[in-house]
Amino acid sequence: MADKPTLAFFSLACCEGCQLQVLAANEKLLPILERADIVRFREASDGDADHYNVTFLEGSIVTEHDIERAKAIRAKTDVLVALGACATIGGVNVIKNFQESDDVAEYVYGDKKDWFPHIPTRPLKAEVQVDVEIHGCPINTCEFLEVAKCLLMGKPYRQPNYPVCVPCKLAGNVCLWHKGVPCLGVVTRAGCEPFLCPSAGHKCIGCRGLVDNPNTEAAADVMAEFGLTVEEVFREFSLFQGIYDDVAKMK
Amino acid sequence: MTQIDIHKGAEAESPYVPKMARILSAEQMTETERFFRIEMEEAPLAYQPGQFVGVTVFGVGEAPISICSSPTQGDAFELTVRSVGLVTNKLKEFGEGDRLGIRGPFGNTFPYEEMKGKDVLFVAGGLGLAPTRSLIRYVLDNRGDYHKVTILVGARDPSLLLFRDELEAWTGRDDVETLVTVDRPDKAWSGNVGVITRLFAKIQLDAAATYAVIVGPPVMFKFTVLEALAEGVPENRIICSLERHMKCGVGKCGHCQIRGVYVCREGPVFTYEQVKRLREGI
Amino acid sequence: MLPQVLKRNDLAAWVEALMADRTVAGPVLKETNVSDPSDEKFEWTVLEDAGDLRLDYNLTVLGPKSFLWPPRQQLVAYRLDDGPDPQPLIEHEPTVLLGVHPCDATAIATLDTAFGKDIPDPHYLARRADTAIVGLDCAAPCHESSFCLDMGSLYPDSGFDVMLTPMGEVIFVEAATDLGRALVKSAAVRPATKDDMEARQKFAEEKRSNFHYKLPYELKYLPEVLEQSYDSLVWEAIARRCFSCGSCNTTCPTCYCWDVTDDIADDLSGGVRTRRYDSCQLDTFAEVAGGENFREERSSRLRHRMFRKGKYILEQTGRVGCVGCGRCERACVAKISIKDTYVQIAGTR
Repeated sequence: MADKPTLAFFSLACCEGCQLQVLAANEKLLPILERADIVRFREASDGDADHYNVTFLEGSIVTEHDIERAKAIRAKTDVLVALGACATIGGVNVIKNFQESDDVAEYVYGDKKDWFPHIPTRPLKAEVQVDVEIHGCPINTCEFLEVAKCLLMGKPYRQPNYPVCVPCKLAGNVCLWHKGVPCLGVVTRAGCEPFLCPSAGHKCIGCRGLVDNPNTEAAADVMAEFGLTVEEVFREFSLFQGIYDDVAKMK
Repeated sequence: MTQIDIHKGAEAESPYVPKMARILSAEQMTETERFFRIEMEEAPLAYQPGQFVGVTVFGVGEAPISICSSPTQGDAFELTVRSVGLVTNKLKEFGEGDRLGIRGPFGNTFPYEEMKGKDVLFVAGGLGLAPTRSLIRYVLDNRGDYHKVTILVGARDPSLLLFRDELEAWTGRDDVETLVTVDRPDKAWSGNVGVITRLFAKIQLDAAATYAVIVGPPVMFKFTVLEALAEGVPENRIICSLERHMKCGVGKCGHCQIRGVYVCREGPVFTYEQVKRLREGI
Repeated sequence: MLPQVLKRNDLAAWVEALMADRTVAGPVLKETNVSDPSDEKFEWTVLEDAGDLRLDYNLTVLGPKSFLWPPRQQLVAYRLDDGPDPQPLIEHEPTVLLGVHPCDATAIATLDTAFGKDIPDPHYLARRADTAIVGLDCAAPCHESSFCLDMGSLYPDSGFDVMLTPMGEVIFVEAATDLGRALVKSAAVRPATKDDMEARQKFAEEKRSNFHYKLPYELKYLPEVLEQSYDSLVWEAIARRCFSCGSCNTTCPTCYCWDVTDDIADDLSGGVRTRRYDSCQLDTFAEVAGGENFREERSSRLRHRMFRKGKYILEQTGRVGCVGCGRCERACVAKISIKDTYVQIAGTR
């Protein structure tokens, strides 16, 4: 009987909230723990190993050192899972790419800014091969469990490729646009159900990135008709989706 | 207006529950195509040439697959599965003795009754040979019912040719003319080279008496139809089988719909005359 | 059964009586606009308190369809140990849908045909067979996007067991089926008087004057109008604004396309095959496993929906696919309107 597969969790630039979302699965983690060994998870335990069957890597790449770490982890890993918006699309960290690099460093580190060299924010897939993506800020615990089940069963995980509007309508929500709130659900990849922001009255801020073939032009037009300026439209999109060319060119 | 008996329908057997089947044998035919011979665990599958089944890998999902055997071959049936999706990739790991779920058979059939006494020209490109084979085997097993039989088979390269043993056996028969071509030959290949329409120059057609069964990728279908029309085969005797993602098989889920037509019920077999009218067919 | 009337004050008692032995679903207040209290949004839900029922409701996001054809429905359960033993999951309980507007009653009749024809779908039909439809007539359009008069759904002659017509202090109650007559037995109805009949007549006149035709042609010409528009540039023009978000489909009372997934239990002991409302507007709806997409262009998907609603469902079921409720237009952030599209294409050839 082969050993149980090994799982590891690592973070780059992020708040580690996605790891906490994993722990939030509570007893639903137990069937996974019966079938796999977590060898590295600093939010939950000590320990490490030389090789990981599956690594969940959260956080974005913001320094040269991050690139090295990501590559080193990739080299020890069979299946690399990008965990959370920072890892899959750069997350909110991408905002700094639209500001003067020096200003950002000074704002954060003051006169010690030279001690902390940094590069434009990028998602993991810009530097290493990513096998599975779990989007979201933070991730949806249900989707994490789904991915874990797929990995244990040896089948690929297919992430949703339709916008948040689908589960939002199925939940019977009154469209936020009709309440005067421009919501990014129309172009944002679904997969957050049953924890949809619009179900709680909040607009979708696009934390799961764009669907594969978004009509961002129409979105910008419709938002403009709605009374938003170009800058406001860009600000809506760039909170999470600045990494996409469609969005970057709005600026 | 269609009259519906809701209460009778409420008691109907669910069409979505797979029935258990067992794999009798499996063989990797090419790098991406795997052949299965399958037997239902309870009642045998009652099918006709041209139909398809839904294959369930429990825990993974279901995929629609054309039946590539003929009911004349016995109670078991055969599938040729190309590994391109969730389910079909998983099927690569399946072999003799493994169990699957089967729904169906679904869809209409090749017009094998209507074709009796006529010439039959089969033109199969790539994986198109799988559904075509169901009719080829049927015709060969009832050889006396049909007049002249011609089989044209094409593949991108020799490694992608399906049913090579059978192609050789058919080539060896004197009551069937079989020609095989590849787009890109390897060093060992001594046969025909070039797209499948090039084979038309090598055969004699009595167009007015011929049914042309053409199954293959859209581009191949397009040019082969032009060839058949140029030879004078009537539009309603050019027969094809269309590929769509049939998810339910019973004309409800909508995924296979071409215009107003549910391919899973009204197809997958259509005449060129019908396909042309659909406009979104190919 | 002769026409009956129910005093509005006796309505709650009737609903309570129905709730005693059945699940009763109806329209209730969902939320109120913070800055405009008169702007109320309603939803269809299972009634917990008879007093929550709001017969003055307007267009809901999802219609009563979701009680017969839930957004997510489990079809088959199987095990993942030695023997999968797949079993159908068919669940139903005696249900009353109370307050179904004519458009939605018409749509339910269309769904009945779609799920009942050829190979019947017992997962839908078992619920349907166990459900009574209590209609609620409309005195005025409930939304500017609606065009139920054009689509022939404003005056349904079937698709309901009881029809209610609210007329001030009384509600006119007409039972159309045996099931309807049984339901009405528990209501404190009295035979309609001459005054009631006159009030009924007045309602009908008012209704007639409140609804106006919006299409420049009769419904029977719609399939031909659509067919002549097939190659029109109009589809591409409209599709430029389309997000392909599917909200038109997910809110439509007659849409019945679905996607199916195998969901695995958290302990990996078994799986459930589940269907979920799908949308022909979504990017990958017509994609096959090899990656070929037969309706890759937004415009071809948009045209497909407009054709499906005005032509294809009619060909399949004998009933036109659009009931003119206006939900799709209202749900569309880009304000794409099926009604305006049907007007626009009248000029194309």
